[in-house]
Amino acid sequence: MIGRIKTQTVEASQFLVDWMEHRTGIVTMLEHFLYEPVPKRGAWLYTLGSAVLFTITLQFLTGILLLFYYAPTTDDAWNSVEYIMTDAYFGQLIRGIHYWSANFLMAFIGLHMGQVFFSGGYKSPRELNWIVGVILLLLVVGLSFTGYLLRWDQDGFWASVVGMKIGSYSPFVGGYVIHFLLGGDVVGPATLSRFFAIHVWLLPAMIAPLIGAHLFLLRRHGVFGSEFEYTDRIAKLHERQRLEEYARYEADEDEGEPYVGRRDRADREGYERDGE
Amino acid sequence: MYAPATGKAKPVEEEVITEENVFERPDETIGFFPGQVLKDGYVSTFILLACVVLSYAAPAPLTEPANTATVEYVPRPEWFFFFYEQMLMFFPGYALISFGAVVVPTIFIGLLFAVPWLDRSPQHYNAVSRPFASVIGILVVVVVVLNMLLAVSRIMNFPTA
Ligand code: HEM
Repeated sequence: MIGRIKTQTVEASQFLVDWMEHRTGIVTMLEHFLYEPVPKRGAWLYTLGSAVLFTITLQFLTGILLLFYYAPTTDDAWNSVEYIMTDAYFGQLIRGIHYWSANFLMAFIGLHMGQVFFSGGYKSPRELNWIVGVILLLLVVGLSFTGYLLRWDQDGFWASVVGMKIGSYSPFVGGYVIHFLLGGDVVGPATLSRFFAIHVWLLPAMIAPLIGAHLFLLRRHGVFGSEFEYTDRIAKLHERQRLEEYARYEADEDEGEPYVGRRDRADREGYERDGE
Repeated sequence: MYAPATGKAKPVEEEVITEENVFERPDETIGFFPGQVLKDGYVSTFILLACVVLSYAAPAPLTEPANTATVEYVPRPEWFFFFYEQMLMFFPGYALISFGAVVVPTIFIGLLFAVPWLDRSPQHYNAVSRPFASVIGILVVVVVVLNMLLAVSRIMNFPTA
């Protein structure tokens, strides 16, 4: 009895898998994505990139949940955040994750960038992935700047005022940019609406496809990792080059010149020249 | 010739390693699944746990409601802007502030974009074999960290100013 249920379940799931594969190719795709070989030695280092990916995913998820209660008007914003913290079910947890994960995101994005920089991961053919990364960094900084104002508390409000003031010092464009962000002459209801729109719609809508491009390029070129992933291959390359050089000297032996190492030869030639 | 470093290019024994293909595939690989996914999973779990614990141990801050009338309130930026705020103090006065606040960072960001073209030698991945890039990188880190420390010490010594 149990045996029969087992075989039937196996058959049914096999049927489902085949059905999906035939119509979408999803199984081959999953195999392709999941069994990709990646560098082994520094695997822990390369978790930095995925830590960024994880924290920004947390931001998206908890951000959507915060929107259930948050009200982006000057009258209600602070109260709605207060409500989230005190009354809403798991409100403190959701806002806490959004807040702490944002802080971790900033730290991890810096560490990820540092790791890539110091291992030379931006070199050809991965230049564009670096470019996409820098754009992502700027957008994430934009997220944290616009998010701070949304609380509509003293800290967020005055920090934004200072930020806007700093921005207004931009040569030539400062006035226009700030006027666009403020939606008026001072930080007010229009500013909150715009920061909200930018924080919740504009920047996430730009970041999501760029992350897609980042991961696409990553897969296209394979993870580079660091030079220590290639020690054996570099050693083999040098060994082969050494042997080839040796063979070249052997071919020269007909001319009666014995093989000497590069260093010896240079020394001897230098010595002979000195002796002349 | 373009060749993706997927590790599926050729069986290892036949391959002749040249200057061009030496970095095409690492010596040792693991499958993305389960090897890398598992490690990523550990890290993610740890981050999530940390966030949950911190949510209750150190709840997300919320100060008094914004009051546009209090002109002397001294706001504090978030910690990752500390270095920037601190750096601005080296550019006093109207003439310099726009330089420090906008021009210098813009140049820096421009250089950041240009990194792959400022450092193009294809075989020098190791930080030691391209000392110029590494020294610049370390200097940037040192400047950022020092500015952050300055900002923190200022905040601790003058909590309200
Ligand atoms: C939302 C932001 C970002 C996400 C989600 C993200 C995610 C990732 C992931 C998962 C990887 C593969 C694993 C690894 O090597 O760490 C990766 C690699 C890479 N990232 Fe990012 N990253 C982000 C921002 C950045 C930034 C700011 C830069 C640099 C300016 C950057 C440059 C690169 C490069 C060049 C690689 C390829 C490294 C290699 O092949 O070894 N990324 N990224």
